[in-house]
Amino acid sequence: MLGLFTVVLEVLAGVVAVTVLAIVGVRVFRKVRQRRRAALAAGPRQALLAFVADNGEHGAQELVAIPDDAWRAAEPGALALLGKLRGEAHLALVSVFLQRGIARTALGDLHSRSRVKRARAAQVLGDLELRQAVPELCRLLTDRHDEVRVVAVRALGRIGDPAAAWRIIASLDRSDPVPSLLATHTLVQLGAEAEVTLSAALDHPQARVRAVCLDALGLLGATGSVHRMARVLREDSYLDVRVAAATNLGKLGTRGALEPLQQALSPSRPAALRAAAARALGELGAPSAVPILADLLGDDEFQVAHEAAHALRRLGPAGAGALADAIESERTQAGAHARPSASASHAQEALALSRVGAEHGERVGAGA
Amino acid sequence: MSTILLVEDDPDIRHLVSYKLTKGGFDVVDVADGLAALRAARENPPDLVLLDVRMPRMSGIEVCRELRAGPLPATVPIIMLTARSRPQDLELGYAAGATEYIVKPFSPRDLQERVEAALARVNS
Repeated sequence: MLGLFTVVLEVLAGVVAVTVLAIVGVRVFRKVRQRRRAALAAGPRQALLAFVADNGEHGAQELVAIPDDAWRAAEPGALALLGKLRGEAHLALVSVFLQRGIARTALGDLHSRSRVKRARAAQVLGDLELRQAVPELCRLLTDRHDEVRVVAVRALGRIGDPAAAWRIIASLDRSDPVPSLLATHTLVQLGAEAEVTLSAALDHPQARVRAVCLDALGLLGATGSVHRMARVLREDSYLDVRVAAATNLGKLGTRGALEPLQQALSPSRPAALRAAAARALGELGAPSAVPILADLLGDDEFQVAHEAAHALRRLGPAGAGALADAIESERTQAGAHARPSASASHAQEALALSRVGAEHGERVGAGA
Repeated sequence: MSTILLVEDDPDIRHLVSYKLTKGGFDVVDVADGLAALRAARENPPDLVLLDVRMPRMSGIEVCRELRAGPLPATVPIIMLTARSRPQDLELGYAAGATEYIVKPFSPRDLQERVEAALARVNS
């Protein structure tokens, strides 16, 4: 019995010793490999930094001629650098990458079975801003892994080819789409040429898609889409989408947005929509909206009156005058010591904020 | 020779900007975090600060505020380096005392020109 116990103990001690040795061995091996890679990467890294700092004017051939093992060690750092640069330095670095065949490898990796490899390849192609990769990246928008789709969307935004707009919009129409904010940001990165596609997508059956397109059109300042956006504001079956239409019409800064927004203030419309329209009129910056906004200061809906007061504040001296008139008129009618009505309170709050903003602006201006 | 305090936690960006500006004839003091930046600014007051917004332990906005409250006169330009360019993000920096912004990704040439222009404005 004692002999068996001793044998078991010896076997266990052996297993522990082997495990410890294996762990130490692996750690030492990793450390040595890490050091070797760092040593290999040091030269190319210095050369890369000098190359991009000089806007790629000198040293491209030396970088292309770096032996493969040293380049492999320096490549992760070089790829990270690629995403942090723009202008001539970026173009020069892209040219080195293309000469070293990294685009070819990345295009191949888009078909890899590993999602990490697919995502990394998409990121590389985006950082290279390689237009010829757009169709392949669009294919990745239907990848079964959401993290791969997110990287593909970002890469398409970085490349900025408006041809990708429709595929990005279509990719929103699924049960687990990429986040709306990311999609909006990417669609804006595609530039004004994407406006036609975005405008057409306002007829998309999915409310979420319509809302994203409205946000992108607003951020693009797509004045050519004002009538289509006004139609969504009037007719869409979803209140959230109509609110998005009002908000983004305000961002266009065009006279054509004035009438649809004023119509949206009608008392028969939902309060959330009327509040959004009031806010949008302030964003729009049209002084002709002052009388209608001043009338809303006494609105029964708190949010509508509040937004109208702040919209007046944004409309500059004309709006501030209307706010001051509202306070003065109340004082005249009810007396100086009477408790202010809701409309006077909204006006006072907006004027106070306006004063704080002006003082803050003066301080910042003085500091600069 | 003008002294530039460069505060950036990303070693690639730090080395790149430091290399570019040193080559451009500036004396560059580069540090990797906000506390080191405050120490460096007290020991050797710079003519201009290049300050990353997103850093561990102490954000660029906090560093900017501390610099303005303490060792740095209002005339010394503070240029923020940031990847976030929404108006509300920029406003935070301006309110803390930043002079201008350079948005990442950036061109090293543009960065040097912006630094030179900011120093020229101070000296004029």
